[in-house]
Amino acid sequence: MITDLPDPITLEIIRHRLDGINDEAAIMLRRVSGSQIAVEANDLNTAITTADGTVVACGKYVLCQVASLNLVTRDVLDNYRENPGIAAGDQFLTNDPYVGTLHQPDVVLIAPVFHQGTLIGWCGSTVHQSDVGGGTAGGLSLDSQSIFDEPLPMPPIRIVEGDRIRRDIERDYLARSRTPQLNALDLAGQIAANRAAVQAVQALCVRYGAAAVVAAMDHLVDVAEVQLRERLRALPDGSWRQVSYLQRGRPTADDADVYAVRLTVSKTGDELELDFSASSPQAPGGINAALPALVNFSIASVLIYLCADLLWVPGAVPRVVRIVSREGTVAHARWPAGVAMSTATSCQAIRSVVNGCLSRMLESSAEHADRTMAGCQSSGAGGGVFAGTSRTGEPFSSMTLDELTGGGGATAVVDGADSSGSTTSPGAACANVEVNESYLPVLYLERRELADSAGPGRRRGGSGCSIVLRPHGTADPIQVVSFAQGLQHPSAIGLAGGDPGRQSVFAVLPAGSEQAWQSGPVRELPLPDAKVRLAAGEVHLAVTQGGGGYGDPLDRNPDDVVADVVAGHVSRAGAARDYGVLLLDGPHPALDEAATTTTRAQLRQDRIGGRAPAPALSQRPGRRWTTTLDLTSGVAGDRIVCARCGGDLGAADGDPYSRMALQEVPTSGVAPWPVRFPGSERFVVRRLHCPHCGVRMDVQVALRTDPVVRAAEPR
Amino acid sequence: MRLIGVDTGGTFTDAVAVDGHGTVTVGKALSTPGRVEDGVFAAIAGIAERTGVTMAQLLSDTDVLAHGTTVGLNAVLTRTGARLGLLTTAGFESTLAIAKANKLYELADTDLHSPTRWRKPEAPVRRSDIAGVPERIDVTGSVVTPLDEAAARSAIRGLLESGVEALAVCLLWSPVNPLHEQRIRELVAEVSPDTHVSLSSEVAPRIGEYERTCTTVLDAYTAPLVTSYLRRLEDRLREHGFRGDFVVMRMAGGVQPVAAALRVPVQTLRSGPAGGVSACQRLGRLSGRSDLIATDVGGTSFDVGLVIGGEPYSAGTPSIDRLPLAVPAVDIPSIGTGGGSIAWYDPALRTLRVGPHSAGAAPGPACYGLGGDRPTLTDAAVVLGYLQHLGGSLELDRDAAGRAITEHLAGPLGLDVIAAAEGILTVASAQMRDLVRRTTIQRGHDPSDFALVAYGGAGPQYVGRYAQDLGVREVLIPGLAAEFSAFGAMSSDLRVSVERDLRPCWLRDAAGLIGSNLDEITPAARQQLGGDDVLVQRSAGLRFYRQLNRIDLPIPAGDVDDAALADLAERFLQRYEELVGPGSAPADTPIEVVAVGVEAVRPVVVPRRPPLPTAAAVPVRRQHAWFAGSEIDCPVYRWDDIGTDHRIAGPSFVESEQTTVVVYPGQSLRMLPGGDAGLTLEHT
Repeated sequence: MITDLPDPITLEIIRHRLDGINDEAAIMLRRVSGSQIAVEANDLNTAITTADGTVVACGKYVLCQVASLNLVTRDVLDNYRENPGIAAGDQFLTNDPYVGTLHQPDVVLIAPVFHQGTLIGWCGSTVHQSDVGGGTAGGLSLDSQSIFDEPLPMPPIRIVEGDRIRRDIERDYLARSRTPQLNALDLAGQIAANRAAVQAVQALCVRYGAAAVVAAMDHLVDVAEVQLRERLRALPDGSWRQVSYLQRGRPTADDADVYAVRLTVSKTGDELELDFSASSPQAPGGINAALPALVNFSIASVLIYLCADLLWVPGAVPRVVRIVSREGTVAHARWPAGVAMSTATSCQAIRSVVNGCLSRMLESSAEHADRTMAGCQSSGAGGGVFAGTSRTGEPFSSMTLDELTGGGGATAVVDGADSSGSTTSPGAACANVEVNESYLPVLYLERRELADSAGPGRRRGGSGCSIVLRPHGTADPIQVVSFAQGLQHPSAIGLAGGDPGRQSVFAVLPAGSEQAWQSGPVRELPLPDAKVRLAAGEVHLAVTQGGGGYGDPLDRNPDDVVADVVAGHVSRAGAARDYGVLLLDGPHPALDEAATTTTRAQLRQDRIGGRAPAPALSQRPGRRWTTTLDLTSGVAGDRIVCARCGGDLGAADGDPYSRMALQEVPTSGVAPWPVRFPGSERFVVRRLHCPHCGVRMDVQVALRTDPVVRAAEPR
Repeated sequence: MRLIGVDTGGTFTDAVAVDGHGTVTVGKALSTPGRVEDGVFAAIAGIAERTGVTMAQLLSDTDVLAHGTTVGLNAVLTRTGARLGLLTTAGFESTLAIAKANKLYELADTDLHSPTRWRKPEAPVRRSDIAGVPERIDVTGSVVTPLDEAAARSAIRGLLESGVEALAVCLLWSPVNPLHEQRIRELVAEVSPDTHVSLSSEVAPRIGEYERTCTTVLDAYTAPLVTSYLRRLEDRLREHGFRGDFVVMRMAGGVQPVAAALRVPVQTLRSGPAGGVSACQRLGRLSGRSDLIATDVGGTSFDVGLVIGGEPYSAGTPSIDRLPLAVPAVDIPSIGTGGGSIAWYDPALRTLRVGPHSAGAAPGPACYGLGGDRPTLTDAAVVLGYLQHLGGSLELDRDAAGRAITEHLAGPLGLDVIAAAEGILTVASAQMRDLVRRTTIQRGHDPSDFALVAYGGAGPQYVGRYAQDLGVREVLIPGLAAEFSAFGAMSSDLRVSVERDLRPCWLRDAAGLIGSNLDEITPAARQQLGGDDVLVQRSAGLRFYRQLNRIDLPIPAGDVDDAALADLAERFLQRYEELVGPGSAPADTPIEVVAVGVEAVRPVVVPRRPPLPTAAAVPVRRQHAWFAGSEIDCPVYRWDDIGTDHRIAGPSFVESEQTTVVVYPGQSLRMLPGGDAGLTLEHT
């Protein structure tokens, strides 16, 4: 029990001020830095923590960069109290993913807040750097065999002492980068932002007393904990499962290049457990997440997918949510496994599996179902890092950030946000084409939303984009490092029978063929590797993933499909194929109502082997379990039934997913464009239907040899 | 001789006139959203009536009529502008829709923790009204793909046939080479000479196609409404005998001739708040203060602007309804804390919170007696005895205010109604103070160098609270606090700016580039303003290599030679360290020039008001009020009774027709020679 808790008026003033201080720190960081990543992309964040590092205020930009800043403060507190000491005016820098950052390019700087000699909190910030050294430009390495092939991390170092930067340490930090001037700008921004935040918190302590400020911070964490527990108590107990796949390198016969992040979420009362321990053993390098990244992305995902409209205090989440993992897995790597590409690979998988499990959990409540959201884009194969020699002859290495133009997930209520990026980096942004062309010797030929890229559903996912560019103003080929994910299968999950968003495309094509890839016979494109170069006479094509759909696409209002055709989100062919909606011939899209009704009836019947579908009920037959499943109790015991027709799917403790009518299609068949990548034949999209009425209940992306996942299991 | 300023606000239209003797007259009328010019005329008629002349007499004797309008802004907010076609470089038709993939940009705070509400702004143009045209210019301004005129003609025809009323054109790299945009305008004129066309290279010649497209689209979207409104208003003024200059307030501060506003209407969109800052600038100029903090407390918001070195501070990125604008604008951060902000008990946090929801004008605060039952900031002021009536006429219902506070706050908080009301003002003042702190201290400005000006209908009530603890040098309350924006429009200099983005070039090599570009754009600026007494201010936009933030610095008259460059570099480093912090300028990083600009300025001279009487004021009545929980019997003075240099000690109240100044215990108010008041804060 907090004894120094200020009155409700002072408490509100301190709360408002802490948010303002943290917000302003991010603004100052962007202003002082002025770098492309900080200003255009907002690939940064700021936080204020309690003395023990519990994150109280967290900026809106890239949530997962600071959600577990406590790991960094903990490390500094555990190791440096005596030597070199922690004093007022100090700041510690680290980019060590095994200590607390997501991956090496994310540089964290933390500053202790002292009031009259007592440590009362920390202010911290993170900025993604263009380059922090290592064997490849941008630090992203597709073929690293361990962290020693990647930028070697710096554990926390005291780079600012008594408000003065240590020039020797600054040089040591900058020397390793291919872009020292940019890194220096961001470092200056972070130091200034931390200093301003520290001073502002100190001023708050002078005005209201340190005890009141500390008590207010603790109070915020307590309240957030109470809210999260209340939300959990309002939901039934059960278990939820989701799998997400990654690839590394060339496909092998034994699928050794395939890695799975497997999550089981268990909820009992007001406690939640996220168990990642069934994930694949770690890869040698690149795509793993170290524990801090797992914790960061888990906490950020819990806030996003479970805590809508509650207080977002990251420090409260670990009090309620237990994260279980096994060291040596792709989701919890053991040193010296490489992790430089974690944020674009395993972290996206972590976000995706938490999304799937928590959304299904929320679906059990009619009140909370509206807060669920299908999967957004994962970092796929577009974007990545471009490196080479610039127009003026200097080396360059930079992300284009076009990666962020994928689609958002559909919700139960509205379509997904088109070309809107990822949920775990809510405030991030892609750069203007003109800004990228100022820095990189390239010429864009297009960057636009791409029809049929979104996951179909009753609510459509957000559209992804196609990006085409070519070298311009440089004689040397440009190295293009891709994250190389999401090419063999979709990654943005659909919910409640919605389809996943469509997969990425990555290609280097002869100039002039940039439009042709969307038509003609199916061709197999090579998977991107470390050797990809973009030379004169070639174009680079990237397609960002669409967002996942929500609900059965046959239930989408046909008028909405026609509107999507008009707006360019769906092609005429896509309307017929994905939605069973046919349009009349003619220049202006108009609904062919009769043909649509017939087609949709036929498609539904085909799902259940040509039988006549059972009619829909006027209301749900039992207790809501997911959007598509109900629980009933009666003479036959506790049963799981179809929420639409009431048809039986077995005992409540059985596996309803094994009883659903399955349509399995190769992943290369779900995207409309005729390209496919080696290895994609191993993956399937499984569409699971009610065997009675044919409604689509769940859609799963899986390695062909993996079993159907029992996605939601009541207790 | 007479100057008139008119500002159309959400509720009231204010008019302020100054005659050749410096006598100030105020007219006020309800705004008339359907026919905005009716409200403008009613407010001017109010002045005529008070002056005892006819409308025709008044207007025929007026030299300058300056106007701040919200016609364009309202069209954007209510999405009632023109149906609009947009032409882009082929392949980039989705630039608006992609919106840099930034779904949180300017998103309401209330939606930040609701991921299903993370959406991008709705652009005011239909997707099917956007057409790409094959053409391409690169970063150097070279034509990579010539404009396909046949395709452009066909796209233009298609859009016009589908019913668009105005066209916006935004092609890649047009600020560096506007050739293709200009050619498209000619092609439009061939088929439809009356269709309004906004070119991005003219409206917002800045690099960064998303922001430029938004600005151009908003310009074309509002152009038909704004131009027809301004023409209608001007015609009607002329019919009533007005022969003077009709000028319009700019978002960037200053006023511009109506012809310039008709060319680029986007500059009128957020011009209201800029009027207040312009008025502060003048107030500072008259009293020898060059650094001021402008604070405007309205019914729904609290706005903060800065005047630094005598000029309105305009470094921010302005936006309207979440759409960014790539044009200069006075930087005015705002929070949703105003007189109508609703105070509520947050059971989760167990705190007393104020805003962001507002009771608005209808039903308004509980004390209005118009059906509002939620407690607001104004209700708290009424309960504490600070306010009895509104605008001279509307009596405020203290019992209703007390009931609202008791039911929604005092009960749940376990406080009495006075303590709860005090709490509301404390929390709201802290929020206002936070915003001032954020725009000053946290951005490297020391408030002790600044005078804080408080205006807006409610500013004088709360400034004694929120200015406390800021460490500002002094607090000023203008005599026309409630009509300060209209006064600002009237007293602003005439300004026309032309700017041009350059392909980044290292400063040391840029003498010729800067000089020739300035020479090219100067005549256009001068010509738009006309007249002889025009000052030309030139500037260059500089930044460190690879930084995106630029700093605009004045360039003195004369040739741009190496000495001028050296001087620019030195001032850049100095300004950079002022903005960013001492020692922050990276020593080895080259400086780039990225833009040039020219501003033509014609100063407006406002006659000084006649000296005030110097008699000591006598209270007109007494009023019970509560300060820090104690009930005190306080004197109430009339503003106009207080002579120059006379001092009123707090606790007391000073009433003018439109507002009430609350002088808190320990504070004192002194009337300044110009008719504005200085408030001395308690030293804590």
